[in-house]
Amino acid sequence: MKNIIKTIALGALLATAIGGVAEAKGKTIAVSWKTFQEERWKGDEAAIKKVVEAAGDKFISTDAQGSAQKQAADIEGLIAQKPDVIMVVAFDSDAILPSIKKISDAGIKSIAYDVQFEDPNALYITFDNVGVGRIMAKEVLKVKDSGNFAFIKGDKGDPNATFLFQGQLEVLKAQMDAGKIKNVCETFTDGWKPDNAQKNMEQCLTSTNNKVDAVLSENDGMASGVVAALKAQGLAGSVPVSGQDGDLAAINRVALGTQTVSVWKNTDDLGKAAANAAIALADGTAVDKIPGVAKFNGGKKKVEMNAILLAPTPITKANIGDAIKAGHITKEQACAGVKDGVDACK
Amino acid sequence: MSSTGSSQEPGLNQEGAVTRFFRVTEINPRMLGMVAALILIWCIFDVWSGFINPNEGLFGGSFLTPRNLWTLLVQTSSIAVMSSGMVLLIVMRQLDLSVGSMLSLVAVASAVLQVYQLGPLLGVGHPLIWVAGVALCLALGTGIGAVNGALTAYAKIPAFIVTLGGLIAYKGIAFLLASGETVAPMDQTFEVFGGGVQQSWLGPFWSWTLALVVCAVIIGALINGRRQRTRFNFTLRPVWAEFLLGVVGSGVVLGITKVMNSYPWPPKLIENFAAANNVVIPAGIEDRDGSAICMAAEKFVRCTTGLIYYTGYSLPVLVALAVGLVMTFIATRTVFGRYVYATGGNPEAAELSGINTKWLTIKVFALMGTLVGISSVISSARLNAATNSLGLSNELYVIAATVIGGTSLAGGVGTIYGAMLGALIMQSIISGMSLLNLPAAYQDMVVGGVLVLAVWLDQIYSRRLK
Repeated sequence: MKNIIKTIALGALLATAIGGVAEAKGKTIAVSWKTFQEERWKGDEAAIKKVVEAAGDKFISTDAQGSAQKQAADIEGLIAQKPDVIMVVAFDSDAILPSIKKISDAGIKSIAYDVQFEDPNALYITFDNVGVGRIMAKEVLKVKDSGNFAFIKGDKGDPNATFLFQGQLEVLKAQMDAGKIKNVCETFTDGWKPDNAQKNMEQCLTSTNNKVDAVLSENDGMASGVVAALKAQGLAGSVPVSGQDGDLAAINRVALGTQTVSVWKNTDDLGKAAANAAIALADGTAVDKIPGVAKFNGGKKKVEMNAILLAPTPITKANIGDAIKAGHITKEQACAGVKDGVDACK
Repeated sequence: MSSTGSSQEPGLNQEGAVTRFFRVTEINPRMLGMVAALILIWCIFDVWSGFINPNEGLFGGSFLTPRNLWTLLVQTSSIAVMSSGMVLLIVMRQLDLSVGSMLSLVAVASAVLQVYQLGPLLGVGHPLIWVAGVALCLALGTGIGAVNGALTAYAKIPAFIVTLGGLIAYKGIAFLLASGETVAPMDQTFEVFGGGVQQSWLGPFWSWTLALVVCAVIIGALINGRRQRTRFNFTLRPVWAEFLLGVVGSGVVLGITKVMNSYPWPPKLIENFAAANNVVIPAGIEDRDGSAICMAAEKFVRCTTGLIYYTGYSLPVLVALAVGLVMTFIATRTVFGRYVYATGGNPEAAELSGINTKWLTIKVFALMGTLVGISSVISSARLNAATNSLGLSNELYVIAATVIGGTSLAGGVGTIYGAMLGALIMQSIISGMSLLNLPAAYQDMVVGGVLVLAVWLDQIYSRRLK
């Protein structure tokens, strides 16, 4: 595909190859979605469906509408239709476990799609969230390698908020141990809400008298709040800020220089990788023989699972042009209000 | 003093000095209690934050600094505006659970209009854009409010259900409008309503002027009130009480203004402003804790004395204060307001005495919607972006502020200033705890606890009065 996703893990590409040579026809791949309220899952479904149907297999899916009970009933219904593989986007990663056991008991393979549940028989496919945190920290370190760092974390109930923070700390650890980087503020943000992030950042600036040299925000929405708080103090642009999701407004901020990096997870690639892995499983390939699979035990209960972790892409001033070329954002949207210094906007 | 007039004077011989003080000054003891609680909370946070991170606050912390108090007022303004409308609804025994989702919907609609529609059409920065953005917020808010009201009044669906439906549905519409994306940045002039840019700061001169005007109005109102009471032979306050009210009232206004005028512009903005307007920056000695800027060795540095500007009141705070004033006038001095309280006190009696309670319900819900529109302008301008999560759970904070402020869910009782003070108390707790770096979970716990505590104290207090 395009330049921007060059860095996507080997797994996705190799899995594509396997999918291409899939011989057995007439297999059934099922997906239990946790909700369609968030726009993105429809994109994921389209990507999976396309690959599955291109391979001549059948695709079925259910929507749990944000309810753990409905998801359990959905999965029972899917098992009754005897598919070969069931992918699950768990609404609740603990409450789902009995349903996953039912899937294994019925001799069906299961895949944990994007949201982890800790069942050793399942294959876990997601973006490397610890890796996202690492990339954020690395990009910020390039701009600022010492001083007072603020950490605006996501919602306290979301395990990804902790994975991201872990990844950031891994990268910053050496500098922190040497006393060069100081953690001056660290807060969870209720519901990942931008306006909560803005308030937290304002309080952080107040308590430190503006002595903040870099901000690690865990997503783009919160970064918008952080940048608004920095702007009110005339600091936007001089203090590096991280984010993720590849939000259009965030890419514009990257071009304007008020945000340093937005780590982009192309969900289209996640869908394709999962679909190809599912087809391989349906054709009888052993889980640990699927390309890109590695052992993973970074979950809450440290259960060892087979996992495919895709690498996300950092969008910075230097490669905004790639995001435009990939059709993720138009040049007008990316470059609105940009005066100079960004090659892609010329 | 006057001997004729009000017949409800309790046994004068038995009342204590404190009761007498509140009676003759006509100060609501409940309000005084809230102010005392607020000041106590502020002091605790200042002392506590001083242990963690010594700063220039009154007690050595970072809470009672002009900067934090200034920010606190800006952070409170959006919830305070909405709580003033919620008072009238709750007084009328209605409730609006949909204000949070409505705020998201209105803000996203206005942002889509500004960023996706008018921006490319008229060119970014065209003055029509912010006018249209604000107008859409107010109109859409009023319209949605009126729909809530009509369903409640004419379709006879309980307001709880109508607005619970709204809470869920409006959130969905807000999501669809922008496919769940954050819409940004807002129009540059629109952003002024958020208080984050220097154009929205009044500056010391106009802040003082405004404060003096308000003081004059307070004193004028006291004199005029006394004249009217004499004319109708009502009980007069003792002269010392009139003086006390005048001095305390003006003192509070001047004090708040002094604090607002002590918050300097962030140094970086002073530097940018000086560069853009060819202001000469004086030479001086570097002091990293200073708020002014000066030149030392050919470089801009922070100093204790040098070039400095002060912010004064910011626009969102002025908007909230104006809303509070207008709403208080509506609630206490208009026929409409009287009807609202009468209906809340006894709906059947109000209807039988000829009040069109259905039409009144629609009007109160529509007014609530207008206020949500104003709040959506403030919050989206402040964030300089709009998302479908912007107003999430705001309805809970608005209702909590209203109830902490002494509005009774049984209807008929409630004040605008009480609700706004309630909003300030709640935001003080949230901001203070976030200043101490305490996790959001603790903030939720404490705010919830304060809500229940406030109502409990209220019950004890009103039982004692009987």
